[in-house]
Amino acid sequence: MAPKEKPIEIINPPNMLKVKVGGKLPPADPSAIHRAETALNNLKTEFADWLGEEVVKLEHYMAEVRSSGLVGETGEMLFTTAHDLRGLGATYEFPLITRIAGSLSKLIENAEKRAEVPMSLVEAHVGAIRAAINQNIRTEDDPIGKQLAEELETRVIALVGEAE
Amino acid sequence: MTPQMTADTGMAALKVLVVDDNAAMRGIVRAVLSAFGCVQIKEAADAKSALTTLTEDSIDVLIVDWKMKPVDGLALVKRLRDPDKSPNPYLPIIMLSAYSEAAKVRLARDAGVTEFLVKPFNAGALYARLTSIVNRPRPYVRTKEFFGPDRRRLDATHEGPERREEAPID
Repeated sequence: MAPKEKPIEIINPPNMLKVKVGGKLPPADPSAIHRAETALNNLKTEFADWLGEEVVKLEHYMAEVRSSGLVGETGEMLFTTAHDLRGLGATYEFPLITRIAGSLSKLIENAEKRAEVPMSLVEAHVGAIRAAINQNIRTEDDPIGKQLAEELETRVIALVGEAE
Repeated sequence: MTPQMTADTGMAALKVLVVDDNAAMRGIVRAVLSAFGCVQIKEAADAKSALTTLTEDSIDVLIVDWKMKPVDGLALVKRLRDPDKSPNPYLPIIMLSAYSEAAKVRLARDAGVTEFLVKPFNAGALYARLTSIVNRPRPYVRTKEFFGPDRRRLDATHEGPERREEAPID
């Protein structure tokens, strides 16, 4: 009779990484974090250009979506660009753009949602992101930026609900 | 990267692969890793190139984006956790994604990621994930439906007895 198969196996592989790095890594290393923050500071001169490129890409797909609709590959590309901006905005020192792009991502996350949502609300998000750059509104400390982000988020939640 | 921006730390020994379709994000992650002392950093812009690198090179840690085309990061993680298809099913994987919803984190965990880090990320959070992988590696679990790092460390509320049997690595 074949041995009974174990329903669950717990496997502890040998910790080769610890051997490789020569023991435990320090659980906190303020000097490493400081060096990393300095490295990111050194990249700051590039951030405006990189953010600008992402927003131009977003506007490009917005223009395509206006003519071809949100369903299909262009809608997917618009979502992908919004999703990237959600992840990059705060790194590029525009947390407000991360917030607005996050709201847009939630609105057009999948094909089912994209088939239902009003184009005007999508446009409003893209316009708000452009306005944030043009007027250098970086954080929600700016009352108008905060109000705009909240208004967009409220309308998105009313349409697609809260994220799980 | 200027010489004073790097340091001789244990991380110099780690070979890290960064997979993201956004070149700027790859550059940002590389800058942070270099500042930690990593000197062996490879990059890939898509899942296919990542698989090639993982097959040809002995990568120690994978940092992977989720939303990529044509194959997304989640599919790559599932492939890497398939013992029959993977060059290294025990590879520590940090998923670095703009997704932050709990349901998405659960999906990633169920696919087999070791750690999840939300974009925008800060250097301290990435450092913490790396030290966790080296200092406190998760055991691996094999069931009929799942192979990957033990998912229970994320569930700090579990207080029940250990009912699972230990098994040596193959």
